[in-house]
Amino acid sequence: MTVLKEVVAELITMFVAERRLTIAVLGVVTVAGCLANFTDLDPLVAGTMMLLGCLILLIESVWRSAKASTT
Amino acid sequence: MTWSIAAPAVTAAFLASIVEVVEAFTIVLAVATLRGWRPAAWGTTAGLALLAGIILLLGPLLDRVPIHSLQLAIGILLLLFGMGWLRKASLRAAGIIPLHDEDAIFAAETAQLGQRTRHQQSNLDWVAGITALKAVLLEGLEVVFIVIAVGAGRGLLLPASLGALAACALVLAAGAMLHRPLSRVPENTLKFGVGVMLSAFGVFWTGEGLGIAWPGQDLALLLFVALFLAAGLVGASLARRVSVEVVQ
Repeated sequence: MTVLKEVVAELITMFVAERRLTIAVLGVVTVAGCLANFTDLDPLVAGTMMLLGCLILLIESVWRSAKASTT
Repeated sequence: MTWSIAAPAVTAAFLASIVEVVEAFTIVLAVATLRGWRPAAWGTTAGLALLAGIILLLGPLLDRVPIHSLQLAIGILLLLFGMGWLRKASLRAAGIIPLHDEDAIFAAETAQLGQRTRHQQSNLDWVAGITALKAVLLEGLEVVFIVIAVGAGRGLLLPASLGALAACALVLAAGAMLHRPLSRVPENTLKFGVGVMLSAFGVFWTGEGLGIAWPGQDLALLLFVALFLAAGLVGASLARRVSVEVVQ
């Protein structure tokens, strides 16, 4: 049972390394999906926004973690 | 199958598997050093058998999922997994969190296992075997996910699996020769590289799953790799600057 619990916990931490980053990435993907499928916007623009959003979120997450660890 | 997408898929599976197998090997070696090769071998075999069972159980289900839904689900999971690795690797590169040290993990695991076996005198080999099983299962699950994630979207499961198997063979051969933790493997550099590739695959598959036609098709992946590499380096550089400012 302990092994099973640890496996489940490991599976969760595989995808939720940092909660705020995870929620933000899911948000960016949801917005891009809505823009690409439910508006007149060119899907490629939505895809580009998703890509840029992920890049910015990554940099912000690293910077924020560095700041938090030094305060 | 095009090389522009097969090569990153096989490389990602190979490099990620090296990282995971090195981590599992360190723990199995600690078990073998403390209790002998028998519990280490049965623990490893049981872990591999469980992994094989999971693959046999879930593998056929992948064929039943519509390709766009599969690409979207795998793409999102890859984004979360890859960006998590890349974030951690950037923080390690900046010196914010310590580097993964296989020698230290080996020493800690050996001490912990020794302590546990002293408390459970009747089941020494059982405790040791379960420790090996857990290590193989947990690290193996990550390998299985990566192989499926980079391979399933375009029918590249076989080449990605071969990449992972080659990594296993390489690590086991090196481990068998050295009989010590593989601490000289540049784990953070590998994790950084794999994080970049998995994040790039994540954006690519998620986009395809959402119905976005990337210009240049598979070649867009190379651009994504370059952009995530740049973002990881910028992140590490900013984090380093933050820590330098605090020291000053």
